[in-house]
Amino acid sequence: MSDTRFVNLRAVGSPVLPDEAIPLVEGEGRFLNDIRLPGMYHVAFLRSQHAHARLRSVDVRRARELPGVVKVLTGKDLLGQVEPFRSMPNRFSGGESVQHWLAVDKVRFCGEAICAVVAEDRATAEDALELFEVDYEPLAAVTDPRLGERDDAPLIHDSCPNNYLIKREYARGDVDDAFRNAHLVVKRDFRIGRKQALCLESRGCVAAYRESTFVLTLWISHQLPYVVRHYLAKHLHLPENEVRVIAPHTGGGFGQKASVYPEEFVCAYLALGLRRPVKWVEDRLENMVASTHARDQYIEVSVAVDRDGRILGLSSDVWVDVGAYSTYLWSAGMEPLQTAGLMPGPYRVPAMRYRTRGVATNKTPVGPYRAVGRPSASASLELLLDEVARRLDLDPVELRRRNLIPNEAMPYRNANNLMHDNVNYVPCLNLSLAKAGYERLRAEQRAAAASGKLRGIGVVCFAELTGLGTSTAVGPGTLLQPGRDAVTLRLETSGVLTIAAALPSQGQRIMTAMRQVASDELGIKLSDIVGLTNDTATAPYGFGTFASRTAVFGSGAVIQAAKELRRRMLALGAHFLQVPADELTIVDSIIQTLDRSKRLPIREMAEKSYFSAKDIPPELNPGFEVTAFYDPKFGSFAAGAHVAVVDVDPQTGGVSILRYVATEDVGTVINPAVVEGQIIGGIAQGIGEVLMEELVYDDTGQPRTVTLADYIVPSALEIPRIELHHANTPSAALGGFKGCGEGSIIGAVGAVACAIADALSRRGGDIRAFPATPERVLRGLGVLPAEV
Amino acid sequence: MAREQRIKVTVNGQGHDKVVPVRLSLADFIREHLHLTGTHLGCEHGVCGACTVSMNGRSVRACLTLAVQADGAEIVTIEGLRQADGTRHPLQQAFHENFALQCGYCTPGMLITALELLRDNPNPSEQEVREALSGNLCRCTGYQAIVDAVMDAARRMQPAAT
Repeated sequence: MSDTRFVNLRAVGSPVLPDEAIPLVEGEGRFLNDIRLPGMYHVAFLRSQHAHARLRSVDVRRARELPGVVKVLTGKDLLGQVEPFRSMPNRFSGGESVQHWLAVDKVRFCGEAICAVVAEDRATAEDALELFEVDYEPLAAVTDPRLGERDDAPLIHDSCPNNYLIKREYARGDVDDAFRNAHLVVKRDFRIGRKQALCLESRGCVAAYRESTFVLTLWISHQLPYVVRHYLAKHLHLPENEVRVIAPHTGGGFGQKASVYPEEFVCAYLALGLRRPVKWVEDRLENMVASTHARDQYIEVSVAVDRDGRILGLSSDVWVDVGAYSTYLWSAGMEPLQTAGLMPGPYRVPAMRYRTRGVATNKTPVGPYRAVGRPSASASLELLLDEVARRLDLDPVELRRRNLIPNEAMPYRNANNLMHDNVNYVPCLNLSLAKAGYERLRAEQRAAAASGKLRGIGVVCFAELTGLGTSTAVGPGTLLQPGRDAVTLRLETSGVLTIAAALPSQGQRIMTAMRQVASDELGIKLSDIVGLTNDTATAPYGFGTFASRTAVFGSGAVIQAAKELRRRMLALGAHFLQVPADELTIVDSIIQTLDRSKRLPIREMAEKSYFSAKDIPPELNPGFEVTAFYDPKFGSFAAGAHVAVVDVDPQTGGVSILRYVATEDVGTVINPAVVEGQIIGGIAQGIGEVLMEELVYDDTGQPRTVTLADYIVPSALEIPRIELHHANTPSAALGGFKGCGEGSIIGAVGAVACAIADALSRRGGDIRAFPATPERVLRGLGVLPAEV
Repeated sequence: MAREQRIKVTVNGQGHDKVVPVRLSLADFIREHLHLTGTHLGCEHGVCGACTVSMNGRSVRACLTLAVQADGAEIVTIEGLRQADGTRHPLQQAFHENFALQCGYCTPGMLITALELLRDNPNPSEQEVREALSGNLCRCTGYQAIVDAVMDAARRMQPAAT
C-alpha cells in the first residue's frame, strides 16, 4: 500500500498509511523523556505516606545539604506566589476544594506531593527524598463514599460539608407514576471498582526559561496544549503570549493526560525561578498514585417495565468515590454526572430520575478516562435488562429490540434531554447478531451446559455522545465547555500544503485523517500534504484531543478552511490559465480545465504567487493561508452492539472469552484501519476493566496496587481476536463524522459482564461487583461466601 | 565497592568503552549515555516490556539489567534494526503496514521480542505469537494488529523459494 494508490480516488474512506507513524516504528519518536536541554536540572517529588494527616513539620535541611541538590521547594514557599487549584464552581457543586501544588498544613491522599527537589541529576534528586523528615499527625481517613457523606464522617475539606464535591438530583417525566403502574420493577446494586488509564508512558514535562522568544516553554506529555497554556499563564501570573506549550510524541493519553496537575506547574515555577530548564518524569509508582484514577461507583438502579418489557421509568442512586480533590478543570462532576445522566444510552426511557454525588475521600482524585461514566452506567443497565428478560421469560435480544430507539423514531429526545438522530442502533444490533450467529450460539450454550460447561452470552447496545459543539455540554455542570477548534491551511511556496492544528494524537493518527480530508477537498495529493501539530507557537487555537471529538473538529475545520483556500486557488488559476474559475478543477495537485487542455501545477502557481507577486492583481492574491474554526453546535451519537461469549470455570472462577463480535456506527469513516485500531483497542481496555483491573485501597487509605504486578492489565493472551463490523451512518456534522475513540470500551464492559452473569445464572448465581475477578466469580457461584 | 566501573559493550554494531556508575541501569546507559532514546521505560520493574533490548541474542529487560552486567555483551536496540541498505527491517515495515502501533511507546520492545521469536521460530502460529508477546504490554491496540504484523513479517522473512 502507498499513498499513490489512492490518487484520483477519494482519500476519505481509504486505509491510507500514516506517515506520522514512521518515526515511531524506526525508534525515532521524540517522547517527553527523550528531550534534553543544556544545563537541565531534574526534579523529584516528596510524596505523602499517609492518606490523611496534618503536617506538623517538614524538615528539609538534610535534603538541601546533599551535594548536587540545587533547590528544595515546599508548599509554604508557594503561598502567595502562585494560584492554587480551586474546584470550578458550577451549579451542582458541593463545597469548594483547594488543592495547593505542594501540600500545606495537611495531606489528603497517599502520594500527594509535599516538596519538590531540584538536583543536578535525577538519581541525586531521588536520593534527597530519603533525607526529608516529615512529622505527620495522622487523621481518620474516609475511604468509602457512602460513609463519607454521613454527618459523623471526618471532613477532608473544611469547606465541604458531608464531603460532597458535587451533588445533583434530576427528574424528568412522571417517574412515580411509571413505577406505580409497572408490570415489573427490577432493582439491583452494582459496584464498579477504581481504575487507572495506565498510559504506558507516564506523565512528565520539561520547563524552560527564555527558550526561543518565549519566557516560558513547557514540553508536556498532554492532550490539551492550549488549555495548559491558558491555565499556566493564569496561575503563574504570566501574559499568555509569553508561554509556549508543546506536546511531543505522547505514549497514551486516554483522558489521564487531559487534566491539569500540580507537578508540571511546579516545574514551570521552578524553571522561571532558577532560569534553567528542569525536567520531571513520573515513575510508575508515582503514576499509580499521583495521576488521576477513574470510575469507582456504587450504583443502585431500578427499572420499571410494562408487561411487554418496555421501559416505563428508570431510577438510580449513584455514589462516586471521587478522591481527595475536584480534578482541576474537569471537576469532580465527570463520573457522577455522566454515570447517572447518560445511563439510558440507546434505549427509550420516557421518565427518569437520579440522585448522584461525588464524595471526597482520602484517595487519588478521579478524573477523565476513556468514556467517563458510561462503561459503568451501560453495564449496569444492561445487566438489569438481562434480569428483566429472565423474569419475563423473554430473550434478552428481543427485550432490547423493544426498547432501542429505532431509526424511524428519530429525531428522538430522551428523558435525559439528549437528542438522538442519524444513529443506527437497531442496524448495529441486527448485524452483530447475524455475524455472531446468535441462534446457533444459544444452541451451543445449551449443549455446553449439558456437558457441564458454564457458558454465557452477553448482547449489549450502547450510545456514545461524541463531537460535542457549543450547544451540548461535555458533561452537565462542568464549566470547561469546549466547542470550537481551529485549523490553519497554508500552501507553501513549494506547493506543499501544511495543516496546522493543536489537536495532538496519542496514536489516533489525527493528522493522517486531516490530510485525507484536505486531499479530497482541495485535490492536492496526499504526498503533498504535511501536518504541523501540538505546538501553541505554530498551531491555531484548539481545545485538543478528548471525548472522541478530534476527528469531528479537525476535519470540520479542514473542510471549512479548504472551501476558502480552494476558492483562492481557483481564482488565481483562472488568472494564469485565462479560463473562468468555474471551468476549473483541481486533480492530483494540478489546476486544470475539465478537458485537461489547460493545466497549471499548484507548485508553480504557489511559487509565482509569492515570488512574482508584482505580476498578479493584488485582489487575486490575498495569500494562501486560511484559518477556520469549526463548531458542530450539537454532538452526535456514535453507537454499537457487541456480542461476547464466555466460558466460566466453576473450579477456578476464571473467565475466558471465546468469541467477541462488534458492530459499530461511527459515522463517515476517514481511515478504516485507524478506526478499527481505535475500536479494537477500546474493546481490549474494556475487557481489562471488566475482568481484571482494580485499584485497591485498605481502610486506612493505603493503596495496595502501586505496581504493574498488582494492577493487572490484559496481555496478548487475554484478548481474543475481535470480529469487527460496521453499520455506519453519517452524522449531521460537516463530513458526517462522529468519532470513535471511546465508544467501544462502553460496549466491552457491558458485553462481558452480561456474558458472565448469563453463565452464572445457569447455576442460580449472579455477579454485581466488577471487575469479575476469579474470587468474585466464585462468590457469585456460591463456592465462596458472598462479599460483605 | 567501587561506585564506578569500566565497561566495553557493543551496541548496534558499534563498540563503546565507558566508565559508568555501578548503579546505572542498562536502559539509562543506552538512553542517557549513548543517546539511543528509541528504548522506552514503561514501569522500571520488569513488567511492561517496553525497554526490551536484545543482549547476546536474548531479549532482556533493560530496566532490570545493570549497565555493568552488559560488559562484553552485544546489544541490539530498535535503532539497530535498520538493514544495511538503510531500509526498514521487515518487522518494522510489517508493523507500519498493519497499523500495529498507535502511540508507539511499546513498539520498540515488541519489535525486539518479535525479532527473537522469529529467529527461533520462523513460522509461528497465532497462539505462539501471542505467547511470545505476552510479556510486552500494549495499552492502545488490543494486540490484534501487532499479532497480524508479526505473522506478516514471518511471511516476509521466509527465504525466497528456489
